[in-house]
Amino acid sequence: MSEIEIGIGAIVLMILLIQAGMHVAIVLMGLSFVAVWMIKDNINIAGSLIAKSAETAIASYNFGVIPLFVVMGLLVSVTGMGRDTFDVAGQAFRKVKGGLGMATVAANAIFAAINGTSIASASVFTKLAVPELMRLGYTPRFSVGVVAGSSVLGMLIPPSLLLIVFGIIAEVSIGALFTAGIVPGLLLAAAYVVTIRVLVRWFPKFVSEDGLMDGQYDVLFSSREMLVKMFPVALLIVIVLGGIYGGVFTPVEAGGVGALGALVIAIAKRRISLPMFWNVLVETGVVTAAISFLIISAHMYANMLALSRLPNVLGEWIDAANLSLTALLVLYLVLIVLLGTILDAVSIMLITLPLVMPVMIAANVDLVWFGIITIIAVEIGLLTPPLGLAVFVIKTNLEDTRIALNDIFIGAAPFAVTMLIVLALVTAIPQLALFLVYLG
Amino acid sequence: MAYQPSEEEGAVAIARRPNSLFGALTTALAVAGSLWIFAIMLLINVDVFGRFLFGAPVTGVPEIVSLSIVGIVFLQLSNTLRVRRFIRSDVIVGRMLHTRPRAGHVLQSVHHLAGLLVIGTMVYFVWPKFIDAWEEKIYIGDIGHFTMVTWPILAIIVGAGTVTALQFAFHLVTDIRIAFGADHEDIGK
Repeated sequence: MSEIEIGIGAIVLMILLIQAGMHVAIVLMGLSFVAVWMIKDNINIAGSLIAKSAETAIASYNFGVIPLFVVMGLLVSVTGMGRDTFDVAGQAFRKVKGGLGMATVAANAIFAAINGTSIASASVFTKLAVPELMRLGYTPRFSVGVVAGSSVLGMLIPPSLLLIVFGIIAEVSIGALFTAGIVPGLLLAAAYVVTIRVLVRWFPKFVSEDGLMDGQYDVLFSSREMLVKMFPVALLIVIVLGGIYGGVFTPVEAGGVGALGALVIAIAKRRISLPMFWNVLVETGVVTAAISFLIISAHMYANMLALSRLPNVLGEWIDAANLSLTALLVLYLVLIVLLGTILDAVSIMLITLPLVMPVMIAANVDLVWFGIITIIAVEIGLLTPPLGLAVFVIKTNLEDTRIALNDIFIGAAPFAVTMLIVLALVTAIPQLALFLVYLG
Repeated sequence: MAYQPSEEEGAVAIARRPNSLFGALTTALAVAGSLWIFAIMLLINVDVFGRFLFGAPVTGVPEIVSLSIVGIVFLQLSNTLRVRRFIRSDVIVGRMLHTRPRAGHVLQSVHHLAGLLVIGTMVYFVWPKFIDAWEEKIYIGDIGHFTMVTWPILAIIVGAGTVTALQFAFHLVTDIRIAFGADHEDIGK
């Protein structure tokens, strides 16, 4: 077998084994080990690669961001800042038809700025927003759909774990990626609000069976209460985004200061006990280990691919096919969205990026912008069957068992379509992502 | 990010019964890892506030963070596997465990065997690096500024890696026992 065939064989087996439920990191490490052994016909080369990956793949200052932003996100979740944000947004949109749906989007956008994972947003807002939406007459489908759709904002609006992982794999500045995610994230949130408006106007039955109760919502909180609720959230946003964007902090430092800030706020609000904080640290360890070990395995896989010369050959094919950059990008994004229907977000990036990065670098693509469109495309997959991860998380956190998985997928569909439109926009107009980055 | 485990409670309970002492070991490693995360968080804040308020940053923070992250991840690894939070796509396996439990556990035992082999291989090849680092006193950083020997981290990779491989072995035994063993009444729970 030629090295190219070994490389292709490894990728095909990889996708099959991951589908069969084997642990993703084990699949990547095991197949890469065997493939390198076959290519070099020497087990010691494969052995030194596995040892080097374990020792050095994550031994970098920048990896500090992973546990720190996870601690911060979990603290923010247990502290009830999600509820505060939702309360304030609900009151702000109370006079509009479909207002509580829009408030869910707005609250998610704000919550996303202090929290790095879609999963955290999805679980917090499923418990918070879904019962409230249904109480005001929204259909179960729409209620879970809007939560699923807007939870995706967590990965686009910084801090974002997916942007961090992209930055690590593609060797792009995490700070620049964070800055670039802001405008597309806000654009997506705005597009969701428009989508809800359209649904209320033209597809009222999808939103509500017998008329919305919005607009009869009383003022629940005084302006002073609203300020008290929003102050800690605003403070954390200033620390994290202001710190990174203003060049005061590295992303790692922003994560550390943000995590401590969230802890101080939690203690000041008397919303955390020692056992709760301990749970946060333990959960952080689990999430950090799961993701970091995946990155170690991806490091091996990328080295194996380089040895198989597959990325070079792929580049030559693309040169020979004489594809325009636009055609190439469209092809790539379609592939990512399709993979998103069967693989999870991190795995997709780990598998595809080492293959396509050399091509994109050769084509002089701006890698920060490339990161943003990759994330949006991957995120669409989180909302589509059969493996929409965000949808599964919502199902797990749902107390109302009458809402089936299918209802969530159908409810999320309009939001997935909206994402496609925003993806097309950001792909067509790179400035949407980039102008803030190159402003300073 | 991680998938929620969709294992049946029965299987998890069985996995815990025969090796609770071992469970205490994985928990102890995870506790050390979690405290380490907290320590890093404090260290970064001391550095940042030291720099801004007193113009006195802590030296070597980047080196400490970069080595620490390796230690933290490997210390957490066995417990992450134990609570079945290794990232995997469990849609097909989950469905099989419900509809055809025996086939599901057989498939899962293959996954756990693969894990045992891969982690075992990793430990086997890291071991000589640990011996080198120990004997040669290999360090990172610059002399006169900040230096740190690397063998403790390699020791953690070897030690915690071994525990993780053992955890894969325990999962493997559990799957085989449920699929072929005497615990027939547990099937399908």
